[in-house]
Amino acid sequence: MIGAARDRWPGAGRMFFMIGGVFTLAMLAMGTLVFVVAERTVALHIDRDLIHHQDKFLHVPGASPSAPERAATSAEVAARIRDWQARKITSERTYTLFDPAGRIVAGRLNVRPPPGLSDVLFLGGGRTWQSGRALAAPLADGSLFVIVQHSEAAAGLRALLPHLVIGAFFAALTAGLGATWYFAHLTARRLAATGATADAIAAAGDLSRRVPMAGLDGMFARQAQSLNRMLDRMESMAETQRHFASALAHDLRTPLTRLSTLLTGPGDDAHAAAERECAGIITIFDALLRLAEIEGGRHGGAMVALSLGALVEDVAETMEPVIADAGGTLITGPLDPVAIHGDAGLITQLLVNLLQNVATHTPVGTSARLSVHRVGDHAELLLRDDGPGLPQQDCARVLRPLERGGAASGRRGSGLGLSIAQAIVRFHQGRLHLGDNGPGLEVRIAFPAVVPA
Amino acid sequence: MHCLVVEDDPVIAGHIVDGLGAAGIATTLAVNAAQALERGRAVAFDGVVLDRLLPDGNGIDVLRTWRRHGPVPPVLMLSALGSVKDRIEGLESGADDYLAKPFHMAELVARVNAIARRLPQRGSSEPAVPSVGRLRLDPSRHAACFATASVELNRKLYSLLAHLMLHTDRLVTRDMLLEHVWGYSFSPGTNIVESNMSRLRSRLQELGIDPILTRRGEGYVLLAGACR
Repeated sequence: MIGAARDRWPGAGRMFFMIGGVFTLAMLAMGTLVFVVAERTVALHIDRDLIHHQDKFLHVPGASPSAPERAATSAEVAARIRDWQARKITSERTYTLFDPAGRIVAGRLNVRPPPGLSDVLFLGGGRTWQSGRALAAPLADGSLFVIVQHSEAAAGLRALLPHLVIGAFFAALTAGLGATWYFAHLTARRLAATGATADAIAAAGDLSRRVPMAGLDGMFARQAQSLNRMLDRMESMAETQRHFASALAHDLRTPLTRLSTLLTGPGDDAHAAAERECAGIITIFDALLRLAEIEGGRHGGAMVALSLGALVEDVAETMEPVIADAGGTLITGPLDPVAIHGDAGLITQLLVNLLQNVATHTPVGTSARLSVHRVGDHAELLLRDDGPGLPQQDCARVLRPLERGGAASGRRGSGLGLSIAQAIVRFHQGRLHLGDNGPGLEVRIAFPAVVPA
Repeated sequence: MHCLVVEDDPVIAGHIVDGLGAAGIATTLAVNAAQALERGRAVAFDGVVLDRLLPDGNGIDVLRTWRRHGPVPPVLMLSALGSVKDRIEGLESGADDYLAKPFHMAELVARVNAIARRLPQRGSSEPAVPSVGRLRLDPSRHAACFATASVELNRKLYSLLAHLMLHTDRLVTRDMLLEHVWGYSFSPGTNIVESNMSRLRSRLQELGIDPILTRRGEGYVLLAGACR
């Protein structure tokens, strides 16, 4: 059965033997402990009993509060023993007093152990050997007072104890091993579905498969949820990759086709035009390389505290002539004094890419304003223009690599400008949002601000 | 000028040798690291064009070996590895400039000229404020002055003019300007240089001069003759 379980759920049998073995050892240790503790408790109880009764026989209480307690004489002890014998019919204790010569003065049991506590064997009722516990005390005149206790109940308990412990051990062992086997079986069965899903994905690359959640609860459900979330993310990444590859193939096919036509056809300008097409292809590859660098954190810059306003001023100085040449206007301000933790090269590229979009994708006469605001614990970069803006459905799409807005499909450019911007913002733990400026486009970017020291 | 060209690809090597030759630069070709080490020791070159990946080694290692054995002529490192990290690695290994493949011949010639000319200035503590003919810069006012007239420039236009004046009568490419004036480690893929250059040209025209020559598809030259 365990062999079969091992085949169906490899590792379950081993788990059973490991946990079962540890459990058996623990039960053995516990049984031994119970046995020793019970045995010692009974023995202690008997010894305390013996000492108590010895005190009762060997001391005579004072007659008045002023007269102190004193030791009983041999005669008094003998009298007490006889008195006790007369009153008690049966008892688990017997008292005997020996004179200095070793003869019995009072009592019946002829057992003379050494002074103090000891184990003794004696003939009970003159017929059967019995074991008991004895306490012997010498008196002042050389006599010896002996109490022997033979407790039937204690002897019975002692006889029962090993059986009890062994019985309990086997019962607990059976229950424990059963529970362990059941647990191993349950775990294996629940993990089997996860394993089957992972194997299916590994074999066929089918990322649409998910770990079935039916019948799962507690930690198994949580684990399945985590795995399914991971699969969701992987599927979306694979989908992006597929989409990206086909978009890239398309984007390269167009300039390459034009290039091939130029190279085979006649024309004086063919050389310059072919160079332009090559430059276009190289631009796409440069941008792809840059995107991969930024997404992989391999862009080579250092993260420092940067004044966002100073960077905006610097880039605006460079980009203002570019936007003016495209027939637009760039205005900056207000620039709130706020710092972010960032890479100056990357933030510069972010600003250049955003302003480049204004220059290439807005009509003549468009006015754009770039400003920096402090909003709570964030630095907000705001670029608003009064151009045609983007339809709502294009806002998410244009952030993906090689995707262009509907109106820009014919324009040149790598098609990666906003993807790079998005990657830079993400690298800085910021958020980029494209919205409507009514009319025009609003680009709103929030970075965590550096708290002034 | 005599340059050592270290390049294993025969087509690219031929292209470089022809291109430098056409620009009046004599060349010696080495097609692997062993030849580069041998030829680099034998002749004192004015500059080196060094491919980073060679069949029997690495351009960076070749450069380090040269450095251990004495002064090395200015080096332009060529590589298909064009990421910012690769560029930084190349420059940190001691190359004077780094050019990613594919490149335009004009770009390569302009960069070889630029690094070879930089040689005598090595070690000079502070670059002097350049002046070309009667055109000079006034750093205190961020202004360009010609004869008695002057015009104030913003920081970018000022740096742009200063860079052109440092390379008077030499071709300065768009990528060289993006690297040295703007300090951009990315290709902005926009006409940043063209627009700013046109703005600078208009400002200089206010002074009555137009010394910047545009070489289409190649770059810009500041003509000393136009500043007299």
